[in-house]
Amino acid sequence: MKLIIGYLYGDLMNIYGDTGNIIALKKRAEWRGIEVKLKVKSLKSKITKGECDIFFFGGGQDQQQSLVASDLESSGKGEIIKKEMEKGIPLLAICGGYQLLGDYYQPHKGPKLQGVGLFPAYTVAGDTRMIGNIIIESQFGKLVGFENHSGRTYLKKEGQPLGKVIKGFGNNGEDNTEGCVYKNAIGCYMHGSLLPKNPELADWLLEKALKINLKPLDDTLEIQAQQAAIKKFC
Amino acid sequence: MRLLLAILVGKIIAKLTRFFHIGGGSAAPGLFALRIDPQLVEKLVKKIPTNIVITGTNGKTTTARMLAHLAKEAGIKVIRNHTGSNMERGIASALISHYTLYPIPLGEAASSAYTLGVWELDEAAFNSVAPKLKPDIIVFLNVSRDQLDRYGEVDKVVNQWSETLSKLNPKTTILINADEPDLAKLKDHFKGKVKGFGKKDLKNVKLNGLNGSVFDITIHYTLYTIHLPLPGMYHIYDTLAAITCAYHLDLPVHPEIFKDFSPAFGRVEKLDFGYIFLIKNPAGATQVFETIAPQIKPSDRLLLALNDNLADGTDVSWIWDADFEQLKIENLKLKIVCSGSRANDLAVRLKYAGFDPKAILIEPNLKKALQQARESLKGKLFILPTYTAMLQLQRILARSGHKKYYWEES
Repeated sequence: MKLIIGYLYGDLMNIYGDTGNIIALKKRAEWRGIEVKLKVKSLKSKITKGECDIFFFGGGQDQQQSLVASDLESSGKGEIIKKEMEKGIPLLAICGGYQLLGDYYQPHKGPKLQGVGLFPAYTVAGDTRMIGNIIIESQFGKLVGFENHSGRTYLKKEGQPLGKVIKGFGNNGEDNTEGCVYKNAIGCYMHGSLLPKNPELADWLLEKALKINLKPLDDTLEIQAQQAAIKKFC
Repeated sequence: MRLLLAILVGKIIAKLTRFFHIGGGSAAPGLFALRIDPQLVEKLVKKIPTNIVITGTNGKTTTARMLAHLAKEAGIKVIRNHTGSNMERGIASALISHYTLYPIPLGEAASSAYTLGVWELDEAAFNSVAPKLKPDIIVFLNVSRDQLDRYGEVDKVVNQWSETLSKLNPKTTILINADEPDLAKLKDHFKGKVKGFGKKDLKNVKLNGLNGSVFDITIHYTLYTIHLPLPGMYHIYDTLAAITCAYHLDLPVHPEIFKDFSPAFGRVEKLDFGYIFLIKNPAGATQVFETIAPQIKPSDRLLLALNDNLADGTDVSWIWDADFEQLKIENLKLKIVCSGSRANDLAVRLKYAGFDPKAILIEPNLKKALQQARESLKGKLFILPTYTAMLQLQRILARSGHKKYYWEES
């Protein structure tokens, strides 16, 4: 069995520990005897239908983010990603990647950055940065991470949040929601890195990607780290 | 009068903190004195004829210490902010502690006897403090991800440096690490003299494990052969920066000049039972891993300590950008102790870097972790702490008599 991970703009969008999510997906597949191939899909690359089993999209710096926003539209990659998601291909997008997959991003100055329109959500630049440890209650149980964003994301009426904020700011620091789920795609603000400390979520993504039930692993260390964070910050 | 009061208060606080062993007095005296006289740094630094500013993500303290060493060897009296306290309060503390209140007249006190100020500034403090110091030379070492929660993204750091440089007196000379592409744009924002240093100046590099290295540096047709007692390529860059600076200050350099040089506490420190290597961000930690991995023997052990205090960065995501995979040594049942307030996160990182979970021991309490790591230790113990864990470690080692309190070190 083989797993192909598409790392969207992995050379430009990989801020602070985002690569840890790739490491977690890769290792957790390999520990189950599944061969993993990583494909970085960036400015010059093409994505063909059915090429990747799962996508990851990290955060970036402002300059890179606007470069990526225009490439998603002009290269048609945004449309392809959206179609793949409609088919049920799983995706995890953090911070900048999450914002770009919504309807739009409205910066302080200048025109709106058009989003891919996958998540029914939009983001507006805020005045203060929301920084700190974050803990949410989700369908995967409690998830722990670290957020660092000034953009405030608002879900539209049909938007399903990933979870409810127990500690931290979440999407916008106002409505207690964090992240968004659309079919098997998940977007959120949780760095940390997210997947290593939240193995239930990592395995859910892998199961959706491979369309199989995975045998459980010994996650003692991972759960200990998760519980320690919950205990420390809640 | 305000200045004098500020100095006096600073000196009293320094005495108190040392007396009660609550710190080295590297930040608190400056912090309170600046509240009394916010212009204290400008006023006192004016009395020092030449001032050097060193900034960058990694290597500031070591480079500053090397430059101070070169100056002292040349008989020059140096004042600098010690112990990595690299914000304005650290500089204020240093100026206060070196300021003699006697003899009268007070205004012309002994700080004028210092001829060279060597100031390290962190990425953010550079913008507010460097202009106040009116430096003769600024050294930019490197820039990489470091405490995103405090400094922001790399682009933002470089943009702010550019803005600060654009307003700076063009009489200043800027020395830039030419091998760091992110720093290249700085020269476009400064009207004065800009010089690069880097690989182009280095020849015949011979790395000699943990014992150090030998290499040649050529600056403007002057050849320096250097014996460096510090390991790793990253220390060669620090040396290159210090010697380039020394060249511009006309300081003499001879091959054995660093023979007795020891880096600041905890950066690379030799103990009777092992070594301490500070790790604090992805680039710096990866350099340490590259340097020590080939030197670790089967009987050795590792103790890693990750804290998430403000000075460490509250976001521990960075450990996923550091190349822990480099530490993986094949066919070796290396015992590893994970410690610090985020010991559990470290353990997970090591598991995903390929270490056997059974060989990983978690003990958040650093004192206990150190005991466990040293119990029936046959080889050497490599201790890799983050900044505040390193400070804790210094206290533990001082209390157990393994070394002096760090603020008693030079």
